[in-house]
Amino acid sequence: MADNQGTALAPVEEFPGDVHWYDLPDDDADPEEADEPSDTRFRRILRKTRSLLGRSAAVALLLAIWEILPRTGIVDRVFLPPLSEVVGAGYDLIVSGELGEHVGASLGRSLAGFVLAIVTVIPLGLLIGWYQPVADFLTPLLELFRNTSAVALLPVFTLILGLGETAKITFVLYACAWPILLNTISGVKTVDPLLIKSARSMGLGPLRLFQKVILPAAVPTIFTGIRLAGAYSILVLLFAEMVGAKAGLGYLINAAQFNFRIPDMYAGILTISLLGLLFNQLLVTLERRFSTWRTT
Amino acid sequence: MNKITIRGVGKTFRVRGEGRPFAALSGIDLDVRAGEFLTLVGPSGCGKSTLLDLIAGLTAPTSGTLHLDGRPINGPGLDRGVVFQQYALFPWRTALGNIEFGLEAKAVPGKERAERARHFLELVGLGGFADRYPHELSGGMRQRVAIARSLAFDPEVLLMDEPFAALDAQTRESLQEELLSIWEKTGKTIVFITHGIDEAVYLGQRVAIMTSRPGRIKQIIDVAFDSRAGDLRAEPRFGEYRHHIWTLLRDEVAAARRDEVLSVG
Ligand SMILES: Nc1ncnc2c1ncn2[C@@H]1O[C@H](COP(=O)(O)OP(=O)(O)O)[C@@H](O)[C@H]1O
Ligand SMILES: [Mg+2]
Repeated sequence: MADNQGTALAPVEEFPGDVHWYDLPDDDADPEEADEPSDTRFRRILRKTRSLLGRSAAVALLLAIWEILPRTGIVDRVFLPPLSEVVGAGYDLIVSGELGEHVGASLGRSLAGFVLAIVTVIPLGLLIGWYQPVADFLTPLLELFRNTSAVALLPVFTLILGLGETAKITFVLYACAWPILLNTISGVKTVDPLLIKSARSMGLGPLRLFQKVILPAAVPTIFTGIRLAGAYSILVLLFAEMVGAKAGLGYLINAAQFNFRIPDMYAGILTISLLGLLFNQLLVTLERRFSTWRTT
Repeated sequence: MNKITIRGVGKTFRVRGEGRPFAALSGIDLDVRAGEFLTLVGPSGCGKSTLLDLIAGLTAPTSGTLHLDGRPINGPGLDRGVVFQQYALFPWRTALGNIEFGLEAKAVPGKERAERARHFLELVGLGGFADRYPHELSGGMRQRVAIARSLAFDPEVLLMDEPFAALDAQTRESLQEELLSIWEKTGKTIVFITHGIDEAVYLGQRVAIMTSRPGRIKQIIDVAFDSRAGDLRAEPRFGEYRHHIWTLLRDEVAAARRDEVLSVG
């Protein structure tokens, strides 16, 4: 055996495998990494700027309309104050530290539920995806709960866990659990059977097969679930914060509306949108990093 | 000296919703000599891949026995390397990482692993492509990486299932030549499945022809040329071998067609 390895490793004088033009990669295989001369780089920056402008045009238009309609009196400015007034109210909220406090409270709950969901649900999903008996046992239950809206269960969470943080975080966890769980299961189940066969042919046992093939193959799909869960974690938290909370953006929006501080209400809504946008962008970037090898 | 001995091997599959089992192979007898290049041709669906899976130890035969170096085959192992038509590279690993995969399975220590992977990448002419991911490589390059991966853990037997079928003609011919040269250098035993008669004659020292399903070995033909210099495919001998194998296969392909029509109708 050792002998044999020696011969295989012996230096090879002439390489039989010269690369020919016809097995060079297709041009479209890797468009981004092509070296480009500097003048086209300038053009590319120009193009990117233009596309960014193009994409933000609709948003700019909406903001402009928001400013103009109340000012011209087409819309009652009591119910929809002009954007500048909302921004001013938001600025005051920031300066007084009130906004920071609410954002902190909301983010804390969202992240706690989100992280707990990741930590607990990914292992569960891997187990369900990998062990058929576990899947057979749990699938009917999962189907039942999956079709029960998280929002419908909010009163139940509140009833059992009270009005405190536990109920809110559990509620976020529950809502985040589904996209992560379903994606993890499908990530494990949809691994290309040929890759499994290939790894098995190299003598890998079930455990190593799981570690070296199933898990890395499933990572991009799992990450898609995580990204969806990230969006949910902020969306559903608002519901929870509208009942029995003393801080948080949901509370701010609700309380502002109740006390007729309409600009504050809109400032809260804007903040939540921006927060969601930022969080999603962060997760999309992370997702890209983890799935560079995926070609689809 | 025989490397692989196959005696009376049959394989049946249970097909869902059908009462009687489905016979893919029956009564296969085949000896593969140590260090030889054996090509295997047969009509599509005759059980070639099934036979390769059995030799690889990925499945167990329903009847009969398979031996490797006199020991019964009862599972996959690093003494055999499999190369698939669809490359089966791990898309999240670079070319180098893919070659290292088998070395990790063999528990080769880290530093040696990288060196060895690099050596085999160079052997297949892809020294400059170590950090490319499979999707950044052409089909021919991917198959080269797959071959390098199988060579790197140094199996004694290379099992290849139509490895060049998905490549264009020019890439295929250059890979055929490379494979022959690697075989001459390393002295591996190669079992090579193909549905191309030309490919079978060009590569094989012996060509085994299978019957239509359930597959058996119909005949084994020794292929020998006085000289391999020049355009082998233009030699009269080459044409004779090809015609002979074509005649043998024609009846089987016709039988396979009939079988298909019957099972559909
Ligand atoms: N796992 C399986 N279950 C049921 N039938 C199978 C299975 N694998 C192969 N077969 C059948 O066995 C026959 C031989 O298949 P295969 O070995 O792939 O043929 P070939 O490689 O010669 O084209 C085919 O009819 C195929 O449908
Ligand atoms: Mg096949």
